[in-house]
Amino acid sequence: MASVISVSELNERAKTVLASESSINDVWVSGEISNLTRHSSGHYYFTLKDQRSEVRCTLFRGARNSLQFEPAESLKVTAFGSVDMYVARGSYQFNVMTMRRSGIGDMYLALEELKKKLRAEGLFDESRKRKLPRYPMTVGVVTSPTGAVIHDIIRVAEKRFPVNIILVPVLVQGEGAAQSISKGIELMNTQNADIMIVGRGGGSAEDLWAFNEESVARAIAASRIPVISAVGHETDFTIADMVADVRAPTPSAAAEMALPDVSSEARNIDGMMMRASRSLAACISLMNSRFVALDSKLSLKRAKEAVISESKNVNELSRRASVSVRSIMNEKNGMFRMADAKLSPRRAKDRIEQLFMELDDASAAADRSVAQMIAGRRKDMISADQRLRAVNPMNVLERGYSFVKGPDGATLVSVHQISPGSDVEITMKDGIANAKIKEVIRK
Amino acid sequence: MSKDVNEMSFEESLRELEELVDMLENGGLDLDRSLDIYENAVKLRDHCRKILESSERRVQKIMETSGGIQREDI
Repeated sequence: MASVISVSELNERAKTVLASESSINDVWVSGEISNLTRHSSGHYYFTLKDQRSEVRCTLFRGARNSLQFEPAESLKVTAFGSVDMYVARGSYQFNVMTMRRSGIGDMYLALEELKKKLRAEGLFDESRKRKLPRYPMTVGVVTSPTGAVIHDIIRVAEKRFPVNIILVPVLVQGEGAAQSISKGIELMNTQNADIMIVGRGGGSAEDLWAFNEESVARAIAASRIPVISAVGHETDFTIADMVADVRAPTPSAAAEMALPDVSSEARNIDGMMMRASRSLAACISLMNSRFVALDSKLSLKRAKEAVISESKNVNELSRRASVSVRSIMNEKNGMFRMADAKLSPRRAKDRIEQLFMELDDASAAADRSVAQMIAGRRKDMISADQRLRAVNPMNVLERGYSFVKGPDGATLVSVHQISPGSDVEITMKDGIANAKIKEVIRK
Repeated sequence: MSKDVNEMSFEESLRELEELVDMLENGGLDLDRSLDIYENAVKLRDHCRKILESSERRVQKIMETSGGIQREDI
């Protein structure tokens, strides 16, 4: 190529080539800091060197601010960044984006290796994650006996849901912590716990490191009991978190995940009981209308017997229904007590007034729907009894009345039981007529 | 009911209670049967409430020693 280029052009081209070469971009480089200068702009300049070579490095203010330590002369570091050309000088430099102190840097590299290995084995797979039992009876906790985790779980259990708690005290940081934690998980698996929380409160990356160790990851993976990990704060993410069935962002969140909320459970039960009493009331009302429908089909003698025995039943039923109504009211009182214990005095007062209103509504509704249904049914039966005593059904037919049975053989009491085209059977005093419905007019 | 209510866990009681309420809501039962179901529902409800209100939870610490597993209340 015969064309001539300027020095600037050469350096620009070199810069472009360097920037596009992936093997020298976004790489971790380990070395020792020397010739460190801190510019008034907040940028740092230094040389990173090993036994044989050195490279000029820049650390801009933004990147500096994200570091966990102050760069210092002779410090061994692992720096992450990319090679760049300083065009004015024709020299290349390494732009550092972030940096870790060595030792720690090596730990992170080992961590990445371990993650890769465990991921390949499938230990992080979503398909391995088990669902937590919704209502554990016993919660196991593998943690420091003095840390945030056990404190939070006891506090939350008192507030939310009554469970037994088994603590296996372990070392959560320092020499032997990983072994202590994994042994603790194994020991917990000999116990009758429904769910296990493994973790510790916040700390530095080094403090949390035991939860990145392979033995802890394997113990969690092998656990028969579903595991919630709760290591440090929201932003801390360890291998233990990746293997656990569920990762909790904080220790108290772990406790809340493990335990349902007592007041919402009580509300749920309350709702079911209201549904049950409504259904019961509907059943009583249905029985009542069936009885009325049936009475015209009965012979006078059988009807009398039925009425007498039903009257006895009604006494029993109404006694049972009033027991049921009382227990609905007792339940409301029970909820009120639980709510009272949980809330601050001022909020409790508002809540209590609310609950009293609900209690009035519920007991009135239940009273109407159950007790009065039964009272109504008794009245119906007494009047049915009187009607049956006074009027022999056959006499009614003598007087020109008839009754109509639907296609299913049931006596029709409502136009809702038939539609145009329905076949019906009309019984008169001296015989039966079969007919087809032409039209249904609802009043 | 297949099991004594007092022997049942909270989860079992709740599941049973849900089933009974469904049965009542589906209807088609005679009054006696409905009242029996309702009475059982009340028993289950009381049992659930007893569990929720119980203060008899235990907090224990266990440790493995040369003499086996040791427990103590904390």
